[in-house]
Amino acid sequence: MNAVLFLLPIAVFLGAVFLVLFVVAARSGQFDDLDDPPERILKD
Amino acid sequence: MAAALIRGAGLERYYQERETLAPRSRQLEAGWNTVSTETDSSGTAETHLMVDGLRCASCVWVAEHVLQSTPGVAEATISYATGRCMLRWDPERVDLAELAGRIATLGYRPRLMGEETTVDRDLLLRLGVAAFAAANIMMMSAALYLGWWSSIDPRFVVLFQWVSLILATPVALWCAAPFFSGAVSGLKNGVLHMDLPIALGVAVLYGQGVVATINREHAYVDSLAMLVALLLAGRMLESRGRRRAAEAAMSLAASVPATARRSTGDRVETVPADQLRPGDLIDVGTGEEVAADGVVVAGSGRVRMAHITGEAEPVEVHSAAEIVAGSVLLDGAMTIRVSAVGGDTVLQQMAERLRMAADRGTRPTSADRIAPWFTAGTLVVATVTFVGWALHDGLATAVPRAVAVLVVACPCALALSRPLAAAAGLGASARRGLLFRSADALLDLADVTIVALDKTGTVTQGALTVLEAEDEALRVAAGLERYSSHPIAAAILDEAGSRGIPLPRGSDITEEPGVGISGVVDGRRWRLRPGGPGQVLLLDDAGRERIIALGDVVRSDSARTIAALHEGGLQVALLTGDHQDIADRIGRETGVRTVVARIDPVGKALWIKARREKGHRVLFAGDGINDGPGLAEADVGVAMGSGAASSVLIADGVISSGSLAPIPVALHAAHACRRAIRLNQARSIGYNILAVGAAAAGYVNPLVAAVLMPLSSAMVIWGASRVEANVRELSS
Repeated sequence: MNAVLFLLPIAVFLGAVFLVLFVVAARSGQFDDLDDPPERILKD
Repeated sequence: MAAALIRGAGLERYYQERETLAPRSRQLEAGWNTVSTETDSSGTAETHLMVDGLRCASCVWVAEHVLQSTPGVAEATISYATGRCMLRWDPERVDLAELAGRIATLGYRPRLMGEETTVDRDLLLRLGVAAFAAANIMMMSAALYLGWWSSIDPRFVVLFQWVSLILATPVALWCAAPFFSGAVSGLKNGVLHMDLPIALGVAVLYGQGVVATINREHAYVDSLAMLVALLLAGRMLESRGRRRAAEAAMSLAASVPATARRSTGDRVETVPADQLRPGDLIDVGTGEEVAADGVVVAGSGRVRMAHITGEAEPVEVHSAAEIVAGSVLLDGAMTIRVSAVGGDTVLQQMAERLRMAADRGTRPTSADRIAPWFTAGTLVVATVTFVGWALHDGLATAVPRAVAVLVVACPCALALSRPLAAAAGLGASARRGLLFRSADALLDLADVTIVALDKTGTVTQGALTVLEAEDEALRVAAGLERYSSHPIAAAILDEAGSRGIPLPRGSDITEEPGVGISGVVDGRRWRLRPGGPGQVLLLDDAGRERIIALGDVVRSDSARTIAALHEGGLQVALLTGDHQDIADRIGRETGVRTVVARIDPVGKALWIKARREKGHRVLFAGDGINDGPGLAEADVGVAMGSGAASSVLIADGVISSGSLAPIPVALHAAHACRRAIRLNQARSIGYNILAVGAAAAGYVNPLVAAVLMPLSSAMVIWGASRVEANVRELSS
């Protein structure tokens, strides 16, 4: 059971890493416009 | 590549001249420095603007290119579909007013955007944090609940509870903030809606969590995190739908040119369109858009008014004809006396209706109506429990039992009953080809009594097709038309191709707009000219006539769909801007009894409005920008996916397949969905009566709660999952 004592922080930490990545992505506007980027390639 | 094309065509002078004209930059300067921007650590500022007046993909390219080549600009992207512009720049080297000015000198109109985007991003962040916390708390809660059966080391219980509480803290204090502010502003304005029991529930669950964790008792922070995450997800989907509707309205408002050529006496000057006054004379040349509503005083030409009438075919315009802003002059030249400008134009009035429709988005739901009773009921029971136990057993018993009442009286099932069933209904409808933007629209569908259909592109396929012609006449006509880009030419060439007729090569061909086309095929001189409605005549040199009948073909399953709607007890009406006899023919072919012909876009909206005022609920299906006012006025507006982008964006629902068949099926989905919501609400109220009763009596311990709480959510989920089965049953 002592394994939990270090597995738990690791699990939460890994989750937090992805949360931070998500927050950075959302702040930089990556989720603001989900419709246009796929069409941009057709424009040039 | 596009730059090379522009240079190659000698078009760069056009852009140079446009810059010197600079039609509008002056009035824009005020206000730009008050725009809220975000500045990151490297000092780069970022903001979003709307850019109006983008008419093609190359407009976007030019605007982006000019912005990106401005010193100090790090990044500039513009969305063609919505006109949204994202700018990142160095505030030391250039300011926003200057950038806006550069956009304006190109002839486009930058303007401030609503606050919706930041709201959206904010909700997304809150949802992300809540989902992260909920997932991790669930992981530990599963261990804690299982620990009630098999033994668990008390040290781990303490560890799990503290970690859960730490994770739940940002959820309760930050993620749930919109519910608290909603509840508070509701209370201030005397409106009690669903935010109130949610805020109360979050506050009680979190307070209980803190106290219980300190006292080493069972905390219910898992319910808290899950509740907040699910509710935020629902709220964000709603907000996205609303924003898109608003942007559609904006993009329509933008489709009038920024400048016009005003002629005074024998002089012509280019002026901003907003300086035009009724009575001014403006010149319009081939390929130009008309900047204001007016009457033709001189000249003639063919005009495309698809944005107003929805009929793609160009209209012949002569002196004294009325013309509306946004029309494109395909050929010819004319002088127009302005009759309406700015907000008075037909186009702006259409845009105004669309905007009103976008604002109509939020309204109280049935859950909102139950919410105050739910809150009051819970508080009354908690108070009675507290007072009763305090008198009977003392405070030591009264406090935990009153708290237990508040904790188990979870608004979760009630607040989720609608979003879950609605999601199931939306999914069931989408799988059958009709996608709805919001649950409100789907639920409104259940009340619909009249189904109004646009003709062109909705009941029919929306493209000209040859209905009847002799092979020989078709062959000669195809020989004449093979160099033309006219829609009639396309129809004739298509039909000739599908009949396998080899195309002759015509010579000496002259095309006179609006009059017809003539030329030599097989050594004889032929003329092709318009006949009656839906006809072109082919004349040989001896004057003999051959008729080629053209028309729009009814979609193959329209008649069956309309029969199904009649069978369901609904009235079906056909609204079209086309001629009476064509409308009557389509009506006969499809079995529609009510046919309204020669009706303009605002007329369609008024027709719908009149029916609504008589107490009917109207569904309107259409495909053009011109159907916008109708789509906005109707209780439920459905656009064809193949139609104009604005109609797709403004409509409540979009048909993805080229057919009307999804409409009756979506009606079944609406009925199934509404029933599921009512059942779910009944179940969640039943659950709460049972759970609150048990808590008041003191029968709730963490183990009972661990079974009861997921049970209420499971019940609601099960109810929602029945929607799909019900739709299948009703459709068969």
